[in-house]
Amino acid sequence: MIFTWKIGGEAGFGIMTTGLLFSKIASRLGYQILDYVEYPSLIRGGHNAYEVCVSDCQVTALNKEIDILVCLNRETFEKHKQRLTPQSFVIYDSEEFNFEDNFQKVVVPFKKILNDFGGQAVMKNTIALGASLALLGGKIEVLTNLIKEQFNKKGDEVVKFNQQFAIAGYEEVRKKYSSSIKNFLAEKEKKEEKMIISGNEAFSLGAVVADCRFYAAYPMTPSSSVLHTLASWQEKTGMIVRHAEDEISVINTALGASFAGVRSAVGTSGGGFSLMVESLSFAGVAEIPIVVFLAQRPGPATGMPTWTEQGDLLFAAFAGHGEFPKIVLAPGDQKEMIELTLKAFNLADTYQTPVIVISDMYLSEGHRSVEREWFEKIITNYKINRGKIAVSPQPQPKTENFLRYKITEDGISEKILPGTPGYFYQENSYEHLEDGHTTEEAKPRIDQVDKRNKKWATYLENDFQLPNFYGDKEAEIIFVAWGSTKGVLLEAQKKLNEKRVKTGFYHFNHLYPLNQEKVGFLFEKNKRYILVENNSWGQLGKILAMETGVKIEEKILRYDGRPIAVDDIVKNFLS
Amino acid sequence: MANIEDFTGYQPTWCPGCGDWGIGMAIKKALVDLNFSPDKVAVVFGIGCSGNMNDFLNAYALHSLHGRAIPNAIGIKLANHKLPVIAVVGDGDCYGEGGNHLIHAARGNHDITVIVHDNRVYGLTTGQSAPTSPKGFKSKSTPFGLIESPINPLTLVLAAGATFVAQGFAGDINHLIAIIKDAISHQGFSLINVLQPCVTFNKINTYQYYLQRVYKLDDSYQKEDIKKALEKSLELNEEKFPLGIIYQKKSRSYHQQLPQLLSDKALIDKERFVEYDRLILGFI
Repeated sequence: MIFTWKIGGEAGFGIMTTGLLFSKIASRLGYQILDYVEYPSLIRGGHNAYEVCVSDCQVTALNKEIDILVCLNRETFEKHKQRLTPQSFVIYDSEEFNFEDNFQKVVVPFKKILNDFGGQAVMKNTIALGASLALLGGKIEVLTNLIKEQFNKKGDEVVKFNQQFAIAGYEEVRKKYSSSIKNFLAEKEKKEEKMIISGNEAFSLGAVVADCRFYAAYPMTPSSSVLHTLASWQEKTGMIVRHAEDEISVINTALGASFAGVRSAVGTSGGGFSLMVESLSFAGVAEIPIVVFLAQRPGPATGMPTWTEQGDLLFAAFAGHGEFPKIVLAPGDQKEMIELTLKAFNLADTYQTPVIVISDMYLSEGHRSVEREWFEKIITNYKINRGKIAVSPQPQPKTENFLRYKITEDGISEKILPGTPGYFYQENSYEHLEDGHTTEEAKPRIDQVDKRNKKWATYLENDFQLPNFYGDKEAEIIFVAWGSTKGVLLEAQKKLNEKRVKTGFYHFNHLYPLNQEKVGFLFEKNKRYILVENNSWGQLGKILAMETGVKIEEKILRYDGRPIAVDDIVKNFLS
Repeated sequence: MANIEDFTGYQPTWCPGCGDWGIGMAIKKALVDLNFSPDKVAVVFGIGCSGNMNDFLNAYALHSLHGRAIPNAIGIKLANHKLPVIAVVGDGDCYGEGGNHLIHAARGNHDITVIVHDNRVYGLTTGQSAPTSPKGFKSKSTPFGLIESPINPLTLVLAAGATFVAQGFAGDINHLIAIIKDAISHQGFSLINVLQPCVTFNKINTYQYYLQRVYKLDDSYQKEDIKKALEKSLELNEEKFPLGIIYQKKSRSYHQQLPQLLSDKALIDKERFVEYDRLILGFI
């Protein structure tokens, strides 16, 4: 069983909250979900929509068809009707608008119910959730409990007041449409406790588990909810979250905190990342660990702020003037986001250099089901590795200059924490000697450049991971993709397999640097490699060509601000 | 007990007669007087002749980018507020490239001490005009004379909410030492604008120029009065230069208002958070 529920309405009237509530309802009844939001870059007056794909097994991609469309206004119907089938249900208020009888109509008098109970426009959502739940055969208690949790602080009366809208919507459908009721959301007997988390929340959870103690950011869609989430947790976690005056201050405050010895991170999108880039180079030469969360949106410049794109891979890989090591990771989904965020903090400390975790609006703001047990296992198994940071040197009779940039085999030098008695040192944005002092001499320059470059070799040897392979090893068609398109490709593979088209799929999540030799060997002659990316250049393709000499000619690219759809891939093989 | 020698790093490369010599000496002496040693103090340096002090002063130090010393200093303070944190910067560095950071550090009352070497010219890049250069100043970047009026740093940071604003003169080291000690001891944001002759590139604002125009604030001056302080600061516009603490106000600093730091343990010394269940529940 798999179905898609979608709700739409005017921006500013609670569509986002309602969509997330629907995801939680489905999850609490024992189902898995994947959801996706669409909204314009404004607060009022535009169209917002939220779609949830529900199944009894894992969901990795959105569906082409909408099974239940909840229209809080006519625009919702007009915008999304092309995805409806004759069997699709449309929940709407015939007082607001009407349409021809080509879909299954479920008329719910939103306006009348609001008037009867004296509710505000935003409570239409609650009625809609009640009506949806009735149609899908779920029990109302799940929703009334969620409402109780939401309004408990405001007292019983407020809880009851809100609950009555849910019940009214629910009863309306039960009474008038009893023959249409499905059992899609019938409560499962065996339920595994699941968390509903977005990519941004996955990063936030990862940061907390990794013991990140300092996070700075300047609001920028689609990264802002990391700032909101971590800020709201501060009193619990003890993390310090700073909303600084601009992204330059953001990264430099974090670098200061990291220099002082606490794990630090920043989050932004392309425009803000542009402002941080000079300081990224500073982190590279001064060897200051930093985790940068980069949630992409379509550029250039302000671009399309609330939509999705994978347009900043090349920028991330090559950000910063001069030559310095940096590591770029791009999780494929929420689980990978947790795992790779945890890894990112270990890598930043181990290599004392910037690590960039790339997301995009699709991954950042969409939710997926994650089993609580899985997450708890991840927490238990996680080992903080601070590398050579915070070593305790022998006490000295006299205060001494610590060799912060001592030449080593693996390129990584020991660091003591500022304030350690008996020593001092400086971390320097200029080229420097082993003791941190500025130099312009040739020999120490070469030594320090070589030292920093060695970090990459050490990383590729110890921590780099080859792309994950999914599907048929023998297949002739091999997809090559990275980051958030993973789930869509997995679903496309499934669909193609049903049509007897065998495929394989390399998913890269360790993007840069690449192990030239190992990655190069993955690509065989006589196979058909197809690059799938949410951008117009095929940026992973360019990195592969540059780093490994592998050229992929065939490309499936999408750059209209929307995520790649399963059909974008599948349609190419069904002529 | 540390002495001046302990704080002394490499041999400075400043021009003979440069005001930076006096400022460098004053900082070291102030740190000794305050009973600090190089392992107990954090200093962030900007980029410019002032920032080059990084090699001449021993401390746990970060030699930052041009303009970015202040946010670095804020980060260090938040991560380990037990360390005194000083930012050594220049006028182009702090009033030009990093001007935005200055305003917000002041309004946040972050507990850092910003010492600005104000020579009213770009020294290290060989003599272009600076944000504090006088109007009409002829330089490589303004051959027909500077059109803009100079920034008044004292008025600027007072308006931004700084709780300690002072002015010193590189030609009066003893007086400057006292100001630096007061600034470091102040709880909250402190800024010292140090008038610093650049003997190579600024032939206008020389030692002679300043000696004729500086005067020390005496004991009768009420430094707690913001209106008087603003008035005092405006004297700069008439080329009169009061020396001393222009303004000081008691106010809780940024980190003192963070609930995370109420236990008095520095962020870096706190126990790791492990009560994940408290977060997980919000996702069910």
